[in-house]
Amino acid sequence: MSEIYLDYAATAPLDPAVAAVMRDCLEHEFGNPSSQHALGRRARALVEAARAVVATRVGAPSERIVFTSGATESNNLALQGVLRRSRGRPVHFVTSRIEHKSVLDVAHALKASGVTVTEVAATAGGYVEPERIVEALTPDTQLVSIMHVNNETGVIQDVQSIGAECRARGVLFHVDAAQSVGKLPLALAAAPIDLCSLTAHKVCGPKGVGALYVAPRVTLVPQLHGGEQERGLRAGTLATHQIVGMGKAYELADPEGEAPRFAALRDRLWQELRAIEGVRQNGDPQRRAAHVLSATFPGVDGESLRFELRDVAVSAGSACAADSPEASHVLTGMGLSDVLAGSSLRFSVGRFTTEGEVVAAAKRVAAAVARLKGLAKSAPTWCSA
Amino acid sequence: MEYSSAVQRHFAAPQRARELQLGVPGLLAGEAEDRTLHVWVRFQLQVVEDVVAAAGFQVFGCPHTVAAASVVADWLEGRSVETARNLDVKALCAELEVPVEKLGKLLRIEDAVAACWRTAH
Repeated sequence: MSEIYLDYAATAPLDPAVAAVMRDCLEHEFGNPSSQHALGRRARALVEAARAVVATRVGAPSERIVFTSGATESNNLALQGVLRRSRGRPVHFVTSRIEHKSVLDVAHALKASGVTVTEVAATAGGYVEPERIVEALTPDTQLVSIMHVNNETGVIQDVQSIGAECRARGVLFHVDAAQSVGKLPLALAAAPIDLCSLTAHKVCGPKGVGALYVAPRVTLVPQLHGGEQERGLRAGTLATHQIVGMGKAYELADPEGEAPRFAALRDRLWQELRAIEGVRQNGDPQRRAAHVLSATFPGVDGESLRFELRDVAVSAGSACAADSPEASHVLTGMGLSDVLAGSSLRFSVGRFTTEGEVVAAAKRVAAAVARLKGLAKSAPTWCSA
Repeated sequence: MEYSSAVQRHFAAPQRARELQLGVPGLLAGEAEDRTLHVWVRFQLQVVEDVVAAAGFQVFGCPHTVAAASVVADWLEGRSVETARNLDVKALCAELEVPVEKLGKLLRIEDAVAACWRTAH
């Protein structure tokens, strides 16, 4: 049985055009971009060209883009870079309960260092209401961090309103845009956003490279030391081929052109899946990005469902620990029980997804659900509630 | 999560995953569950002249649990009641290579079978 890839929110296949420019760079442009000789200068030129493309895609000046190893590092640099700069003053950080682990785990680490953290709850639709953020602010709040598009549900957060409220109160605002680049238009310089994390591999670029947008008014404490690269904010030899690949990926990314096709594929998938008894979507459908569909299949054990569907590349709504299934903090944060969160799958489409694939995937899911429900015909109601 | 070939085989085609006909003399049924582990198991045993003439089960759980229930049901059928009462799920399912942190789920299978014996007159 051929494998179907519907996990673009986890990572996307490398676009052949990206692979081509990266291969060319690896074979011919091995110079260190910090070197002053001709090879180094050529590499520097490639890096700066890529920086300009990335900046254009997100609506920011080139000099505000700092290359990193990916969105996780960008999130770490943004949060720790702001919140570890205070000396002696109380520091308060606001985020939501449904953020990515690369924000929540940093928040937990900061808490151990004395930072006060408020995690705002989301609605049942997975939406973080701007009013809840405003209510959480205190005179000590230095930073708010909210992701643009949730990685599990695809729900789009109102970063414009949250950012405006933060700016009016002199609070810095960080946005994790790992899931929104290439799916939604971004205009960072014109938005009330001070820091924005970006990645390449969600838009058919290479893994291991990303960027952080840093607005002019922001001062960050570097988290890596040992060089003056990236204006002293991120030490280490620049990975020219990775950055070139990110530049090409961002050049090819086309939210206006691709998002309508993604939405059509997602809706076609749901059209097929909705025939499964009891299935439900997670996340407010009126606020969702085009490429993600999270669905719960009550009455079916999630681990068994994923194993049955091993030829369909989708993600768990939860990260299952072997002995006690650890439910997705995003879905439980939206009010789902541990069992239902465990019975959820995230489907995500992308550039190379076809309609035939989503239809075939839905048929496999329906067959898997039917078989597993057949094994548990008399199961008590808690198995599906 | 990695699954042994035995788990894959039993999960793909569980042995005796069925509901035995109710109302037949000698039919025993027992259930066990652990909501924190997300596991529920129901066993039915048809006992005829001190022999398990037929076994059937239903299960809500992970692939290891499904496979273990299959192994147990397959083993039970044809055993004398005396032998079947000494079921040791952990030993019986060694070939499944169940991770130690999942052994608690297997004990629910043992509990479900034990519940069957409690319904016997």
